[in-house]
Amino acid sequence: MSDRLVVSTAQPDQPAAPPGTTGPHCLPSSRALARIALAMSLALLALLAVYLAISVPNGWLPAVAPKAFAANGLALARGTGQLVDEELRVTAADSTGVTLISLAPDLRASDYPTIAWIAADIPDGAMVRLLWRNDNAPEKVNAIDVPVESGRTFPVIVANNPAWIGRVTGLALAIQGQLLQPIRIRGVIAKPMGALEILGDRVGEWFAFEGWVGTSINTITGGADFQDLPLPVLIALTVALAGTAVVLIERRRPGTFGASTPMALATLFLLAWLILDTRWAANLARQEWYTAQKYAGKSIRDKHLANDDAQLFAFIERALQILPSQPVRIFIAGDADYFRGRAAYHLYPHSVFFDPRSNELQWASKLRSGDWLLIYHQPEIQYDLSRQILRWPSGQTTSAELKLIGPDTVLFRMR
Amino acid sequence: MDAIALLVGFAVVWVLGVALLAVIAPIDATLRAPGHVAWTVGCGWFVGAFVLTLWMRVLAQIHVPFGIASIGLPLVVAGGLLAWRARTSKALQWDGAFASLMGRNLAGTQRAIWLLILGWLAVRFALLAAEIVWRPLFPWDAWTQWGTKARVWFELRTMAPFVTTAEWLSATSPNVYFDAAPQYPATVPLLQVWSAILLGRWEDTLINLPWWLTGVAFGLAVYGYLVREGFEPLIALIGAWLVLSLPILEVHIALAGYADLAMSAYFTIAALWSLQAARTRQWGDVATALLFLVACVLIKNPGIIWVATLIPSVVIVMLPRYGIRIAAALFIAATLALLVLARTEPIIFLYHLHLDFDMPWRSLFNAYFAFGNWNVLWYGVLAVGVVARRHLLSTEVAPYTAIVGAGVMFLFFGFAFTTARVWVEDQSTVNRATLHLAPLFIVWMLVSFRAWSRHVALRRAITTGGRAATDNA
Repeated sequence: MSDRLVVSTAQPDQPAAPPGTTGPHCLPSSRALARIALAMSLALLALLAVYLAISVPNGWLPAVAPKAFAANGLALARGTGQLVDEELRVTAADSTGVTLISLAPDLRASDYPTIAWIAADIPDGAMVRLLWRNDNAPEKVNAIDVPVESGRTFPVIVANNPAWIGRVTGLALAIQGQLLQPIRIRGVIAKPMGALEILGDRVGEWFAFEGWVGTSINTITGGADFQDLPLPVLIALTVALAGTAVVLIERRRPGTFGASTPMALATLFLLAWLILDTRWAANLARQEWYTAQKYAGKSIRDKHLANDDAQLFAFIERALQILPSQPVRIFIAGDADYFRGRAAYHLYPHSVFFDPRSNELQWASKLRSGDWLLIYHQPEIQYDLSRQILRWPSGQTTSAELKLIGPDTVLFRMR
Repeated sequence: MDAIALLVGFAVVWVLGVALLAVIAPIDATLRAPGHVAWTVGCGWFVGAFVLTLWMRVLAQIHVPFGIASIGLPLVVAGGLLAWRARTSKALQWDGAFASLMGRNLAGTQRAIWLLILGWLAVRFALLAAEIVWRPLFPWDAWTQWGTKARVWFELRTMAPFVTTAEWLSATSPNVYFDAAPQYPATVPLLQVWSAILLGRWEDTLINLPWWLTGVAFGLAVYGYLVREGFEPLIALIGAWLVLSLPILEVHIALAGYADLAMSAYFTIAALWSLQAARTRQWGDVATALLFLVACVLIKNPGIIWVATLIPSVVIVMLPRYGIRIAAALFIAATLALLVLARTEPIIFLYHLHLDFDMPWRSLFNAYFAFGNWNVLWYGVLAVGVVARRHLLSTEVAPYTAIVGAGVMFLFFGFAFTTARVWVEDQSTVNRATLHLAPLFIVWMLVSFRAWSRHVALRRAITTGGRAATDNA
């Protein structure tokens, strides 16, 4: 066995391992490491310069500074809201479904190619537009779409719009759509988009905290949800550029880096990995701080009561006092997939049925006498208390006894 | 008290696995001890954990209720007997293992880097442990299709059946159960059941300790394998760090509850044991490889396809003369078979195959290259594929190339030709499916890169020697 294994490490058609690939020389010397790191740094700077050359709309070092307008300087022209903790919280649109937040900034358009509204919790599907007037045509309202992702507005580059000229005398954010939760607006920033500002934005995106969410198990963005220049792409390009330079230089002047070409390339790769790993580790450490704040030192019950489904969990705790100790059949109805699943999870080891992917109730006809039914936030199902009858959206009725009632939640036993 | 119960309970499982491995897969003492100890201890966790779940299945079959005594005592006895039998095994020569762990056999800078990496990993695993201890079961499938079974089986102290919607609705008693994936295998939930039995209650934080242990053991196994394959200990440790620092892998430890981490670890080790078994053809290695292959099938349903992807590599090792040609024929045959299957629109594991090529390239690029899931793994894979292209089919590298090639083929067909493409577009499955193969890509990268670097060094030596000879002449 061992002979074969030994053979496997130095196959017959492979050259024997030459001196230098093992032992103390499997690492570059500190001098070589410094030179490789320098090559990588120079490549990074070069790539950032190229990126800025493409991205900076005007001058690299603009004469003006960014101009920020805080929430207390904004006017809510349409809709309802108030200032809370330095945020304008808009709780409702007007009767036509429009929310309009405005200000009179008096900006020279050519100085500020980008406008960034700092707004969060914009409802899905809402149409969001940036409006402005300028002193060239003060009666005309100009508009441009504002991209929204995950409820947050993105900066809008307005420099290329022909109406972004003269002095901007009025600026507004228009949101068309009903609000399911308050929109939070912290202010608006007119950006000159100089090189440093753009770099600052990118760094902010790379190192933005990415906490656990429902999709974390599937994918990690690596910083902000949306990035103009993802860090792995930049780092990989850096390694490619530095690696190419190393190969070319070593070919012309062997020994410049004090390490073989494979070792230099491997070192570049590991440095790149280390950079990204450090970012990830820092994010993980920060996440643990938040996790500790939420859960550390709590009993398992209190941990569940700190979760998003706390209300449901508390109801099911009470329901379990009423349910028989032996497993019974329990059907779960609810609008949201999440809460149907959570209700089932808390009710095991009762024999629970829930539709994991649909809130439709095709199973209603399968209810039998003695079965239980837990309804969480499903207003389509009605109950006639006097006749003790459940009426389903299909029109079907079922005789049922109300056993427990709580906020948005009811427990029945079929008769 | 909880910590002691869990540590003792899982130590029993781990010791059982290590002892079993030491008995059935003895290793020659002439090879380097550190690699053997790490490899045996790392793989031992996986063997022990899988044997535990097999034993729990047996108990359920013979209607013996789950309990510390019914599950644990036989394992203690078996582990003790095997440990006694294995006490002279060459695989468990602990002398010097601690010194190796502390890097005492390494020179100055190497030792400093060794300790830095170990410290870095220790901090990381401390953070991951904190998350497991504090956070209740969090990710979606963990509480709709994996932990559901564990909860029921723990409370009932046996394995009640989980059935389809139609079967549940027509059942006359509440003794059958339903969740979001009733057809999924029992292995992973049974590990949670054992945790809960050790604790004596359902506490959906600590029951996830096996995920953390899987991470630790996986690192040991990868390190051990690489040392056995002739890599310097520091390079092998770097290899283990590359595997353990994959962000998506760490997420699956921190947010425990899915089976993908286990699938990844068992498949990686199954592949490596299969190569070893094909080389040595000793019954112990073959038996161990088979154990891991069966485990793959019993962890996730796609496990059977992952196992099938290992066939070309085993053929290459077993038939060195014609292996590559046979493997190439297998690849072509598999491609044709998949195309035929695709034309007939069958359903395999809920994947609807049909010949409608539509690879979501943009989403795939984001998942592999732009997002933070993989650090720079796939850039490295591409780069190694280019620089080491002439060595990928060498005797040393070809088996690994066949493994990752077949794995890529499986993923490619899934993503490009089936409804699984939707799960690439919404990023819901692409990374989890790829996680099963990614650690093997790291092993392939290291082996391929070594073959190339040796070639470069040899060429350089020949050139230098030639110049010296010319100068002397």
